[in-house]
Amino acid sequence: MLQLSGVSYRYAGYSNEVLHDIDLRLDDGEIVGLIGPNEAGKSTLCLVASGLAPASIGGSLRGSLTLDGVPATGLATHELAERVVVGFQNPNTQRSGIAATVFEEIALGPMNLGLPVDETVERTREAVARLRLGELIRRDPQRLSGGQAQLVGIASLLAMQPRHVILDEPTAQLDPAGTRLVGEALRSLAGSGTSLLIAEHKTDLLDGLCSRILAIDSGRIVLDGPTATVFDDPRLAALGVEPPARARLVRAFRDRAIEVSVVEDALAGAAS
Amino acid sequence: MILVSVFTRAGTHVLFTIGPFDATTEGVDFAGQTLVRLFAISTSIGLFGLTTEPRSFVLDLERRGLSPRFAFVALATLEAVPAMVERASIIGSAQRARGLDTEGSLRARLRGVLPLVGPVILSSLTEVEERSLALEVRAFGRPGHRHLLWRLPDSTAQLIVRTGLFLALIAAIAGRITGTFPRLP
Repeated sequence: MLQLSGVSYRYAGYSNEVLHDIDLRLDDGEIVGLIGPNEAGKSTLCLVASGLAPASIGGSLRGSLTLDGVPATGLATHELAERVVVGFQNPNTQRSGIAATVFEEIALGPMNLGLPVDETVERTREAVARLRLGELIRRDPQRLSGGQAQLVGIASLLAMQPRHVILDEPTAQLDPAGTRLVGEALRSLAGSGTSLLIAEHKTDLLDGLCSRILAIDSGRIVLDGPTATVFDDPRLAALGVEPPARARLVRAFRDRAIEVSVVEDALAGAAS
Repeated sequence: MILVSVFTRAGTHVLFTIGPFDATTEGVDFAGQTLVRLFAISTSIGLFGLTTEPRSFVLDLERRGLSPRFAFVALATLEAVPAMVERASIIGSAQRARGLDTEGSLRARLRGVLPLVGPVILSSLTEVEERSLALEVRAFGRPGHRHLLWRLPDSTAQLIVRTGLFLALIAAIAGRITGTFPRLP
């Protein structure tokens, strides 16, 4: 379980806090979506929940982060990395810059953990299979498209096999097929007990993936609840967040006094 | 440097004179030895560069005990050059699309380079923090040994040649110390 309790955070060199009194609990196997307008504090929350802020980037933190009951304060960054990983939205900065092939790039994390070669290879193959990157493993990581690089970045994190995964706009550069692929991989990862926090603008992805949604604005959590409830909340419009197609369709039918279950049955049929 | 050595080295036997400068036997001897040394150094560096892939070299050094951090710095530096060139190309295209003239006369080209330098350097710097965070997430800072996936092939022939060259180096040093090989005048 990953837990943030009463967390406020201020970047080094700034006088104002960008996160205020955040309480967040991620249970094992739970997938939580994080939505909000630009500059709401989503990326900062990802950094804080991963322990990188303030451990690596400095700044001032009030409140506490615990990882499976262990306070993150005082843990070295490599000890944090064994428990929680975070993926950033720019795939170019995810690359190590030293691997000659995609396989080596994905293997870098397990290798850094000091694992035996056999286990490193096994974890790498598993991550490759999860994101169906088999055709890319011999390619130069610097010669990938944005979408391919994003998939490789996610695979590099999955190969670490952490207990908690935090992703900041993991599908920003992916096409619909790539987005679905990531969704399937993350769902399968959660099935094995990993907890996930996903900051995304693509609410359709979160709608099919998350059991709970947090909406953040100006550094505060303003909505927190089951996915369907949050996406049906009229306050989302004020945050500039577009609800997923399913929620919009349901609302449109409801507004026209059409039986909503018809829509839900049709959507369930389409999904299957 | 060779010419300076020929004409300025003090000596007793003058071969010929050009103006105020005397070319002496000692000067030609010194210049010849300097030339051979420079040739040996530049040839060996060139041969190394042509036959050795830098990445393989650094990773093999790591396998032999070099710090992973040092190996990363060395490799990242090598990899940074083509990445910077590519970034400059992208930024150059973007600037040209907005009307920047980067072709034509030398003056026009120089004027066109200035608006590229700032974005190239600044964008590189802004990526550094996120890139270092991404490495930390992958436990790069973990102390201790890493089991590398790579092992360079090392044939018996290469081992024999390497040992032979190492023994020749020892013999050359010993020869110089004992006076078997002549010193430079």
